Amino acid sequence: MRVLIADDEALLREGLARLLEDAGFEVVGRCGDADALLRMVDARRPEVAVVDIRMPPNNTDDGLLAAQEIRRRHPRIGVLVLSHHLEAHYAMRLLEEVPERAGYLLKERVSDVAVLADALRRIGEGECVVDPTIVSRLVARKRARGPLDELTDREREVLALIAEGLSNGAIGERMYLSPKTVEAHISQIFMKLDLRPGADQHRRVLAVLAYLRAS
Amino acid sequence: MVYRLVTWTVALAAAAVTIAIARAEPSDALAGDSALALGAEVAAGLLLVATAVAARARSGFRVLLAASGIAWLIGEWNSPGAGAAFTAGLVLYAAWPALLAHAALLYGDRPLRRPAVALVAVAYADSLLVLGAGSALFLDPRPLGCFDCPANRLLVSAEPELVAELGRAGLYVAAAWSATFAALALVRLTTATPARRRVDLPVLVPAAAAVALFGARALHGGERGFLSNDPTDRALWAAQLAALALVAAGVAWERLRARRMRDQLAELVVELGRSSPTGGLRDQLARTFGDPSLEVLHARDDDDAGWVDGDGRPARLPHDVHREVTRVLAGGRELSAVVHRPGLLEDPAVAAELADAARLALEHERLGAIRRAQLESLRASRGRIVATADAERRSLERDLHDGAQQRLATLAVAIRLARRQLASEDPQLDGELAAAEQGLRDALAQLRELAHGLIPAVLAHEGLKPAVEALADRSPRLVVGDLPPERFAAAVESAAYFFVAESLRRCGDGDVAVSVRREDGRLLVRLEAAAGIAGSTIDLEDRVGAVGGTLTATAHGVRAELPCES
Repeated sequence: MRVLIADDEALLREGLARLLEDAGFEVVGRCGDADALLRMVDARRPEVAVVDIRMPPNNTDDGLLAAQEIRRRHPRIGVLVLSHHLEAHYAMRLLEEVPERAGYLLKERVSDVAVLADALRRIGEGECVVDPTIVSRLVARKRARGPLDELTDREREVLALIAEGLSNGAIGERMYLSPKTVEAHISQIFMKLDLRPGADQHRRVLAVLAYLRAS
Repeated sequence: MVYRLVTWTVALAAAAVTIAIARAEPSDALAGDSALALGAEVAAGLLLVATAVAARARSGFRVLLAASGIAWLIGEWNSPGAGAAFTAGLVLYAAWPALLAHAALLYGDRPLRRPAVALVAVAYADSLLVLGAGSALFLDPRPLGCFDCPANRLLVSAEPELVAELGRAGLYVAAAWSATFAALALVRLTTATPARRRVDLPVLVPAAAAVALFGARALHGGERGFLSNDPTDRALWAAQLAALALVAAGVAWERLRARRMRDQLAELVVELGRSSPTGGLRDQLARTFGDPSLEVLHARDDDDAGWVDGDGRPARLPHDVHREVTRVLAGGRELSAVVHRPGLLEDPAVAAELADAARLALEHERLGAIRRAQLESLRASRGRIVATADAERRSLERDLHDGAQQRLATLAVAIRLARRQLASEDPQLDGELAAAEQGLRDALAQLRELAHGLIPAVLAHEGLKPAVEALADRSPRLVVGDLPPERFAAAVESAAYFFVAESLRRCGDGDVAVSVRREDGRLLVRLEAAAGIAGSTIDLEDRVGAVGGTLTATAHGVRAELPCES
């Protein structure tokens, strides 16, 4: 799999590249700022770009803006944003326009090459990825009494995995459930929360995240 | 008091003497045998004295005006019926026009400039020395046919020719200086500002007329060498009398006007004491002085240079030819300044009243204005301190992010690389490295919370709503209600955010509901907690106050109102 790495910290960039190469990825480019990233994506067409959210020139959310730009220009190229920010707000900004082939992970996972490789593969296959820490905080948020209280513990677990971007099959594997049971849980959840179970798996992620944030 | 007593005693005595002289020889008196004319003559003199005594002008004007009134009465004394007063009459009979001209030139607190000084000097020299004392030294009335005339006690040697020469010269000079004075008065009136003219006109015009009429009499008697009482003389004399009465009326009118203004100002002071509206003094003064464009400014204290208006807002003195600035001083220090149309305060009555009656009101308003200005600058400085602290927090957050967090992430990657190189040669070492890597990951998570606690990056990047939501992600007991999605000024956003975050920390156990509403240019932030808020809220009040907001703590929560004009 062809990946491209954008991070302004050179040592981290190189280390990450070596980790990914060892894990069987082909690193087609490395760069340290948003403009170089966009140029390199245009020229080398990776399958996924790994982007640090905070990069020059402004050192605020330049990486996120560049990621959104990549999505607009090349819908087939995936992006994985690495961030120190736990706020679901940033992840939503990334997913809002085109949820497939996008991921948002906390930066502390950068050395956990298994998690990283899994996320890259899922993005490459067209899924979307949201950091489990962000999702679990959203689910745990205190709310006024509402439809979320109606869910069983099992259904809550499934809801969180949906929000992380897992497919039905992956949810089944993770929870040791048959595909049929997973589907039954999901339709229960959507009915209880009064969400429309769209055919598109990525829209489903977005709908769940939006629900969790708004309620 | 002594001045009044002396003036009135001299004036009444002079009047009595004049009446006695005119009654004794009516045919020689200018008043003739008409009691009415005599009464008018005496009345004109006494009116001048009366108005002079009551005038609120500088003493120079008052003394000269009173003296000219008395001298007017003495004008009858160079008559054969004068008896013992005859000699005084010879010296002083022509003194009143000079005194009146001098008084008129000083009227309205005017300084005497060089041409006026020369004119007055000529007038006195001519009246008192040439026509008065000079002639008296050489005049023996008896050989000239006045056998009833009393003796001239100043007589040195009888020189009829010299007396005639002196008389002619003196009268022509009198005619000349009178005309000059009248011209000077007219020039002064035409070049004066409207306010000044309003004050000068009622006094200067009749005074110029009276002096000019005297000049006409002098011209009439010039060839003859003395003033007589022929029909022309009598007619001119009657006109003089009327003009003098008008001078007295003019002075009295000005006195009345000043009193009316004083009453208005006194009312103003009382009214201000009662209600004291901010900026109210300006409106009152503008109305009282009839200048709608009038402004009142106040000097700040010694340590703060500059001016403020009645509401305490910084202001500047205008540099504009169409505006004039009058400064109000106390103890040599500028306290206040009145900005008005040019010439307004040349009216001495206005200036005097402003200084006396309005001073208390000015001082009162000034203290209030300074207090407001100081409060405003304190508030601004508090705002700057908080803004600086926020900037420090942001820069610390950035340093943590770009420095420590990146470095730790790099280290974690480096350890992972080392572990891969070692492969599984040394399971114990690998275990230790794995523990170190996990430790780094935990440290990263802690550092993230620390950076977020300093000031959340999301607050500056995305605004209040995402920042409060992020707070709720971290503190599950925070129940988020309505939040406005729009952005506000950075100072307002961070004040609102820290108010929520800090209040949340102090709320007892249990859920805390937060909601933010925008209403009439204010941001209403409300926190509700069953247990209420514990401890002092003074630092929260400071935080909120720094952007001009207020904080209200209730039994079940706390509320902040912040001004927001975005």
